[in-house]
Amino acid sequence: MGNKLNPVGGGGWLPAGLASNQEADHMSRFKMPPQIFRLVLLTIGIVVSYLIARQLLTPASFRDFGFYRGAALEEVASRTPVYAGKKACDECHSEVLLKLAKGDHKTVSCETCHGVSQEHAGNPDITPVKLTGSHCIRCHEANPSRPAWFHQITVKNHYTGQKCTECHVPHQPNEVP
Amino acid sequence: MKFEFSRRRMLGAVSGALAGLLSAPAARAAKATVQKVFASSGAPNGYDPYKHKWLMCFDVDKCIGCGLCVDACKTENHVPQASHYFRTWIERYIIKKPKPGSDRTRGEVLVDSPNGGRDGFPPTVVPREEILKSFFVPKLCNLCEASPCTQVCPVGATFDTPDGAVLVDPNYCIGCGFCIQACPYGCRFLNPETKTAEKCNLCYHRITRGLKPACVEICPTEARIFGDLKNPVVDDPIQAFIQKNKVFSLKPHLGTEPRVMYANLDKEVR
Repeated sequence: MGNKLNPVGGGGWLPAGLASNQEADHMSRFKMPPQIFRLVLLTIGIVVSYLIARQLLTPASFRDFGFYRGAALEEVASRTPVYAGKKACDECHSEVLLKLAKGDHKTVSCETCHGVSQEHAGNPDITPVKLTGSHCIRCHEANPSRPAWFHQITVKNHYTGQKCTECHVPHQPNEVP
Repeated sequence: MKFEFSRRRMLGAVSGALAGLLSAPAARAAKATVQKVFASSGAPNGYDPYKHKWLMCFDVDKCIGCGLCVDACKTENHVPQASHYFRTWIERYIIKKPKPGSDRTRGEVLVDSPNGGRDGFPPTVVPREEILKSFFVPKLCNLCEASPCTQVCPVGATFDTPDGAVLVDPNYCIGCGFCIQACPYGCRFLNPETKTAEKCNLCYHRITRGLKPACVEICPTEARIFGDLKNPVVDDPIQAFIQKNKVFSLKPHLGTEPRVMYANLDKEVR
């Protein structure tokens, strides 16, 4: 860099002798003014520090699936299920499920009545929660909001004093015990 | 050494730098198109989110309002027990007969959801003769195509996954509550223990393992239909349901394009 400021064009402020013999040379070459050079350096510095900061702050799995942390999917998915599911019951109790499939309760899952059975599925010695007749009422008590196709009873008019299971088989509701 | 600046050199250097800056995101995008499968120790191994599109639909005519789904959801997802935290809940609609002498087609509409329907529904105080019709409507996250909740999150902690779920990243959620305000369906809440936003995530830990969501598993009447739109099997429950039924979504005028669909929905349901 020259130590003279902006000699481009050989302006009138230069000493007369210098201006006359250096003019042709200056016209053909472009000299970077120092303030522009400093601005370029500053810009590069800002961009580089931004890129470094972004590299450090962006989670590793960002953009794996989209504009978010991809590892979050696996973190959410890694929780252990609480309900075992009908398939797990089918491994040991397939005969009960076959009976169930013939009756009106075919859409009812095992854990709907028997409660959470994940522990029982892992270790058969742990018995699942056994539910009583009040559980039948939860679905079958008459309610004007329930759809008309659904079997409903008014408990106080329907064989009071007797247990549901005296007349109905929960696994085969169409049959009499 | 003296570095000579010429116009040609400067233009060359600047265009080179620009090309480099522009090609970096393109290279990153190319890397992202390589399919990722689950590989961490706790997650179900080899699950590929790009090969599924999960969806839940409802048949309003089948819901009996037993509330077992609400209870199952709370148990499965450790939702706070207090009566205003729900990932799914049931609403009871009671449409009264029009007043005698009025020329309206229907009367007053009453909506209630005692404890989200978790303990079942007590008999209504409205006498049966006054009821024109009444029904239950199960609700949960509507899995919007243009979800307002993911758009307002300032830290990118909630997002649409490639397999159709809308998830909350509990490690990045700052609990600002913008998403709770943005959801037009009221599906989100702030967990008082973790102080992060929560909502239905379609039991993501279950569906990635090939299980049904807890509410679908427990529903005794198959009012909740769950399936995979990318399932090549023709009789996938969700594909069959959408084909066989005339389905409708909630608040379609908001342009959120919910993917959760309801069959036999009444116009009063909001």
